[in-house]
Amino acid sequence: MAQQAPQVKPKSSAPIIIIGVVLIAVVLIGWYMISGSKPAQGNNNARPTTANANKPAVNPATAPPGANPPNFAGGVNASVVVEEFADFQCAACAGANPTMNEIKSMFGSRIKFVFRNYPLAIPQHDKAYDAATAVEAAGMQGKFWEFQSQLFNNQKEWSSNPNYKQMWNDYAKNLGLNVDKFTTDMAGLATKGRVDADMARGRGLGVTSTPSVFINGVLVDFNSMTVAGLKGLIDAELAKGSAPSAPAAASPASK
Amino acid sequence: MLSMVPRTWLAIAAIVVALAGLADSVYLTAHHYTAEPVPCSLIEGCEMVLTSQYAEFQGIPVALIGALGYFIAFSLALLTIYGYRTWPLFGIQVTIMAIVSAVLVYIQAAWIGAFCQFCLISAATSMLLFLIFIVSLFVRNNFVTPETDQ
Repeated sequence: MAQQAPQVKPKSSAPIIIIGVVLIAVVLIGWYMISGSKPAQGNNNARPTTANANKPAVNPATAPPGANPPNFAGGVNASVVVEEFADFQCAACAGANPTMNEIKSMFGSRIKFVFRNYPLAIPQHDKAYDAATAVEAAGMQGKFWEFQSQLFNNQKEWSSNPNYKQMWNDYAKNLGLNVDKFTTDMAGLATKGRVDADMARGRGLGVTSTPSVFINGVLVDFNSMTVAGLKGLIDAELAKGSAPSAPAAASPASK
Repeated sequence: MLSMVPRTWLAIAAIVVALAGLADSVYLTAHHYTAEPVPCSLIEGCEMVLTSQYAEFQGIPVALIGALGYFIAFSLALLTIYGYRTWPLFGIQVTIMAIVSAVLVYIQAAWIGAFCQFCLISAATSMLLFLIFIVSLFVRNNFVTPETDQ
């Protein structure tokens, strides 16, 4: 029997076609998944989700008062108190900040908007406590809200930068703060005391995640933290004309 | 006649595993672009991983990079079956993927402090691809080894 010539598998264009088909299929499926689950435009105008918005705080009446005076905007004696607990390394808090700013602008002195520091003690938020003391230090020079915006707006940059404190010093300098005083205050007991007091209040109210928002002592569902959602809840409280059930602090001071 | 050597089956297994990893990565990529913000929590969870700063590399979702890696692995394994000499490239590819996966698991454990199940599935498929390649090194026959009737 004559020896048969070795048969080498011929190279085919079939795999190229298969690869192309798979690539197209993957791109189409991915595109469908992304475009199919995009939230509708105008999400901020979505109806307020009130189903879970009436959860009572754990203990609003006896919760620790928090930093006194609190960092707040709006009317000192407003009947509606909006109290936000936030963490400066929390992406959701940074995402919610424009909403909170809009609420502050929208209602002005008709509400009292209180900001509470609530740095979460989790590994990926390793700079959150320092950030809270930094914003308190800026507050001591009258630039609390400005510095707060700087931290939220540049969250990704400083969160991933080992020289984050230098970045904060630059923010302070740009805001016209006395940087030496800022750094001294940031490391001081006074700012830590205020942060700790806010955290104690948060724990007393049962805060386990950020941002957490209370309207007159009632926890707002996270899904309602849209401009429309918060507006609806605040309007309802204003209509009641009720006094706050969980005052933010005994003797507030304006910022 | 070409022999149906075990290594062919390893390549088929590699294709199947790579497609599974690709599907997982595409899901994670879609999730990355569509996930609505979730609150940060003291409770560990998948969202914590997917929304962490480590979910992107140079602004590109890690899941998308993973999807590309699985697609390349799939392509190289498929080409191998059709006689192309791409198995060594497949080996390099899956070795890199296994190393990256190990690093990502370490980041979840040590830096984020939370695990994402879908990320762990991806790590498992990467390791499996690497294992398939290692096993293939100990299989004698090659895909394109010609056989004669002698």
